[in-house]
Amino acid sequence: MLKRTWNPYLAGALAGILMILSVWISGKFFGTSTTFVRTAAVIEESVGIDTSTNVHFTEKKGKYGAGALPDWQLMFIFGILLGAFVAARSSGDFKLQTVPDMWRKRFGTNPVKRGVVAFFGGVIALFGARLAGG
Amino acid sequence: MTLGYGLISGIIFGIFLQKAQVLRYDKQVGAMRFIDMTIFKFMLSSIIVSAIGLYLLKDFGLIKLSVKGTSIGAQLVGGSLFGIGWGLLGYCPGTAVGALGEGRLDAFWGILGMLLGAALYAEAYPFMKTKIIPLGSYGKLTLPQALGVNHWLVIVIFAIIVLAMFYLFEKKKV
Repeated sequence: MLKRTWNPYLAGALAGILMILSVWISGKFFGTSTTFVRTAAVIEESVGIDTSTNVHFTEKKGKYGAGALPDWQLMFIFGILLGAFVAARSSGDFKLQTVPDMWRKRFGTNPVKRGVVAFFGGVIALFGARLAGG
Repeated sequence: MTLGYGLISGIIFGIFLQKAQVLRYDKQVGAMRFIDMTIFKFMLSSIIVSAIGLYLLKDFGLIKLSVKGTSIGAQLVGGSLFGIGWGLLGYCPGTAVGALGEGRLDAFWGILGMLLGAALYAEAYPFMKTKIIPLGSYGKLTLPQALGVNHWLVIVIFAIIVLAMFYLFEKKKV
C-alpha cells in the first residue's frame, strides 16, 4: 500500500476482483462515459436548453437524461477523482502539470496548444465511445 | 446505498489506477506507440480475472451479465473515432478524471471536451440510430454465442493468448 508504484499486473488483477465484487453486491459493471451524457443534459438544462425534445435524452425512460442523476456511476467517478488524489498525495506523485512530459518533448511547453488539442480530442473520443456503445 | 457503493468502488478503483501509473498521458500514449505496455498489463489482467469471476458467478446463477448490442457499423465508426480522440487527448473518460485527481490539469480540458462530445452525440443520435447502428446489427451477442461454443473454451483460449502477450512484454521489456 505504501509503495509508490504497484506492479500493473497485480493492480489490474485487484481491479478485476473489485469489479466482480461490485457486480455481485450491487449489480454494477464499471463504466464512466454515460455520466458525461447525463451531465451534458444537466448543463444544457442549466443554460436554458430544453432537453425534453431530444430523443436520446428522453428514450428508455430518460436513462440518459438529466433526471437519472445522481446515480451509482456519478459517485463512481467522484470516487476515482478522490481515490487518485489521495493515492497520489500519499505517494508524493501529486503534481500540478499543464503539459505532460512526453507532449513537452515533442510539441513544446505551450499549455494553450495542449489544452486545445486535449479539448478536441475529448470531443471526438466521447462521441466515438457513445456511438460504439462504450 | 447504491450511491455509497459507487463512491467506495470508485475510490478503491482510483487508488489502483494511480498506483499502477495508468492515469499518465505518457503511459497511455506510450501504449499506443508500443513503447510502454503498462496500460495493457493492467487492462488485460483485469479482463482475465473479471471474466473468470463473472462467468463463475453467472454459472452459479448469482449474477446477470449486461451484454451490449453488437453493431459492426457503430463499433467500427465509433471505435475509430474513439481511437483518434484518445490519441489526441491521451486519456480515456475514466482516466481523465483520475489524471485530474493526480494534478494533471490538461485532463480538465479533455473532460470539458468530452461533455461537448456527449451533447453532440445526443444531437446526432437520430441519424446514428437510423443510418449507422443498423449496419451489421446482431443484437445482444457474446463471442461464445457467436462461435456456438462453451464460454469457458473462449476464456481459456483468450487467457493463453494474453499470457503469451505478457511473456512477450516482459521479454521485450516494454
